Amino acid sequence: MAGDKSEILQGTLDLMVLKTLESMGPLHGYGIARRIEQVSEEALQINQGTIYASLVRLMQRGWISGAWGTSDHNRRAKFYSITRAGRKQLHTEAENWERISAVIGRVLRSAERG
Amino acid sequence: MLAWIRALASRTRASLSRRQLDQEFERELDAHLEMLADENVRRGMSPEQARRAARIRLGGRAQLQETNRELHGLPALETFFQDTRYAFRMLRKNPGFTAVAVLTLALGIGANTAIFSVVYAMLLKPLPYSHPEQLLTVFEAQPQAGVNATGWSYANFAELREQNRIFSDMAGSQQHQLTLTGRGEPSVVNTSVVTPELFSVFGQRPILGRPFYPEDGKPGAPAAVILSENLWRGSFGADPNVIGSSINLDKRSFTIVGVMPAVFRFPILTASEQLWIPLAQDPFFGSWMDRRGGHWLQVTGRLKPGVSMTQAQAELEAIGARLAREFPAENDGWTIRFMPLKQKIVGNVKSALLVLMGAVALVLLIACANIANLLLTRATSRAREIAVRTALGAGRSRIVRQLLRETLVLGLLGGLAGIALAYLGVQGLTALMPQDLPQVNAIRVDNFVLGFALLLSAVASCAFGLAPALFAANSNLQSSLGEGGARSGESGNRRRARSVLAAGEIALAMVLLVAAGLLVRSFSKLMAVNPGFDAQHVVQADISLPRFQYSMPQQWAAFSKELLTRLQSEPGMRDTAVVVPRPMTDGFVNLGFDIVGNPPVSAGASRTANYVSVSPDYFRVMEIPLLAGRLFGPHDVAASPRVSLISEAMARIYFPNQNPLGKQIVFGFPPDIGAAREIVGVVGDVRDVALEQDPQAMMYVPYAQAPLGDANVVVRSGLSAASVASTIRRDVQQIDKDLPVTDVAMMKDTIDGTVAQPKFRTFLLGLFAAIALVLAATGIFGVISYSVSRRTNEIGIRVALGASRNTILGMVLRETLVMTWAGLVLGLPSALAASHLLGHMLFNVSANDPATLATVAFTLALIAVIAGYIPARRATRVDPMVALRYE
Repeated sequence: MAGDKSEILQGTLDLMVLKTLESMGPLHGYGIARRIEQVSEEALQINQGTIYASLVRLMQRGWISGAWGTSDHNRRAKFYSITRAGRKQLHTEAENWERISAVIGRVLRSAERG
Repeated sequence: MLAWIRALASRTRASLSRRQLDQEFERELDAHLEMLADENVRRGMSPEQARRAARIRLGGRAQLQETNRELHGLPALETFFQDTRYAFRMLRKNPGFTAVAVLTLALGIGANTAIFSVVYAMLLKPLPYSHPEQLLTVFEAQPQAGVNATGWSYANFAELREQNRIFSDMAGSQQHQLTLTGRGEPSVVNTSVVTPELFSVFGQRPILGRPFYPEDGKPGAPAAVILSENLWRGSFGADPNVIGSSINLDKRSFTIVGVMPAVFRFPILTASEQLWIPLAQDPFFGSWMDRRGGHWLQVTGRLKPGVSMTQAQAELEAIGARLAREFPAENDGWTIRFMPLKQKIVGNVKSALLVLMGAVALVLLIACANIANLLLTRATSRAREIAVRTALGAGRSRIVRQLLRETLVLGLLGGLAGIALAYLGVQGLTALMPQDLPQVNAIRVDNFVLGFALLLSAVASCAFGLAPALFAANSNLQSSLGEGGARSGESGNRRRARSVLAAGEIALAMVLLVAAGLLVRSFSKLMAVNPGFDAQHVVQADISLPRFQYSMPQQWAAFSKELLTRLQSEPGMRDTAVVVPRPMTDGFVNLGFDIVGNPPVSAGASRTANYVSVSPDYFRVMEIPLLAGRLFGPHDVAASPRVSLISEAMARIYFPNQNPLGKQIVFGFPPDIGAAREIVGVVGDVRDVALEQDPQAMMYVPYAQAPLGDANVVVRSGLSAASVASTIRRDVQQIDKDLPVTDVAMMKDTIDGTVAQPKFRTFLLGLFAAIALVLAATGIFGVISYSVSRRTNEIGIRVALGASRNTILGMVLRETLVMTWAGLVLGLPSALAASHLLGHMLFNVSANDPATLATVAFTLALIAVIAGYIPARRATRVDPMVALRYE
């Protein structure tokens, strides 16, 4: 992957997918990828395919479920939605994330000043 | 935890329905692409552009599919099968490479497995008796006289058995042959003469009937015999009602009381047809039971549980001292020694077997080096393929795993082929194996040996697979993928690794060749030894006279006189004689003697010589020269004065600076104990025990004056052994139709038989060394040809710039010579170290025999140069125009 784009950590992508599904409801892989790009204001340009590894991992842990359905443009597509266990996981992870990013932020700022 | 279990369950499910999973993911990706393309179109792209942009945006489809499978599957199992399948496909695609590698490995594994099956049966496997570790062999020894381990007299054995507190039981045994009659043709059967406790000491029950009971061992008891299962099946048709019927041994009736299972082999350690009779019933040894002097009974004891070797040692020393005190005439100077039964049985073959095992291990190492070289070569030409697979998303560890799997599959194929070879090898080994090797356990490729072979092939494949795999994983992606990358991707490291491997092969081959060379030289010296007689055109036959019919020495003398008269009148029989014991065949009878007029020697420094009873023409038959005095004549009969002949060695040792002729010697041996014999002549020395044993002092007496048991005939004749044999048979049967004539052989073959063991191990080691040489030569050939093919371009430039053919030839040969030289320098010290392990197997050859070392080094260098010369010649024929366009 090219150097100037931010590399997305595996766990981070999983977290974003979970969050997307929580706020958007059932969505297919393409929709999730588009949504993440839009929300990040195109700062994250992912190989959209990588979303699928994340989806498999989440499915296997039972945090999301998937079913075939029809998209807005009448295409057969597999839709994913967050499960109850997924919501719980999302909240734990989100809290964790905020705490860690706050800490990292503080460290980085203090390092700059020093 | 729950999530993890759920994940595992889902993965298991998915790996069972791979195809469905793949298809579903394909559809999902298709949908994704279409939606992405739709949006691109809405943004104003042409449909063509939109699809292309969508594909780029989604990322590499193959990689996605691969990731998806990996996430869904059980990765270890999944990739295992996949790698294995892939490995088979790769091997099938390169049949030449695969065949060479599998064959090389099969040779290595096959040789190892075959030799290991012998080592396992003889050395590792416990003896097939219950609690074999408790079994000891007990000897009498007379250290001052240099007698380290000999048998017992029955009387001494009986005392030992009574007095000791350390053995739960003890048994004595001896073996010889008796004539079995009353069942078709008279035949000679291996007979174990035992005390009745033998079977209980070994903890062996019969499969039919009963073992011997103590009363069977008493003199005067009804004669009982126990058959071996092989004899029972072979000669008695496995008749279940055989118990209670009788057979004749040496014309005396014995009642069959039991049948022992075929696995029980003692004291005769082979699978031959045999039988057991109580010592008291034996026509020969039975009569010695009440005499305390004599050392002929082998004694085996079973230690009581918990008795230590130190305790056993102390107890036996005490008993030995007591025996010496109570019966000083026979036992003074004698002590008791013992060793584990197993050590006694395998003692003399152990070192030879270990040397052979070491030799085949070296062969396998060379084979591995060879295959590693092949793999390295191939890895270089596969660099591009591997680079492509890396680009498609295969991780480095996955590539290494894949390559290792290929070598593992290769290793298992080689292992299987090797096991097939081992089966053949074991058949060949057991067929060629000298008769006198102990075979208490049957030699075969059993489960344990199979396990060893499989383990060996797994270890071997890791050994030869690791280096190439590591090199491959380190290859540079960029340069390998670049144009012509397949040719320039070879690193210097890899080339060096190949040269080191080839040099190592030469070093290993040198070790084997030196060992084989030493054994061959030793064996040829052994065969060149002059035994002191001429064995060519001499036929010998064993006519055993049944002791019950021929119990009187006069009968033996009469029989032999009659037989010789008949034989001598037959056409074509140049000279005939009777001799007991026969040289090289019957062992020897070593007797102490006194010289009349000389003071008796002090105890422990006795005069002894080997005693032989012969008819007058014996020396003419064997062409043993008369050095002084006269030979025996027809007038030396029982009624005439006692005479003897002595050998040159005996004259030298016991009559230094004197004329032995006319001197008289006395020895205590039947039939005329204490009679003085005049020395009437001196004859040439003879090696009567073994070729490698120097001639010993020998004394000869006329058979007519001192007949000994059997009438063994030697005949010098120009006729074939078969026609001489039938003449002897006819004449014997005209005298007594129930006498079997056995063991008819050319004297030459008999002598060859005595060197069967050294011959066998020389042959095997030579074979392994030859394999090693071929493998090492192939290794060098491979390395140099590959190097030449890779340097085609360079050579082309050199030729274009004016290098002569000789320059090119020299350049390539120099590479060979450097490798060879390194190999020899490495091999020399290893070979010297290894050849010292041959130790006592060498006869008249030093372990660092310079001639052998020089010959081996020269041979190896020559073979190496030839192996390098062939590709070097090809290098000189390189056409610069072709070569420059080659890349």
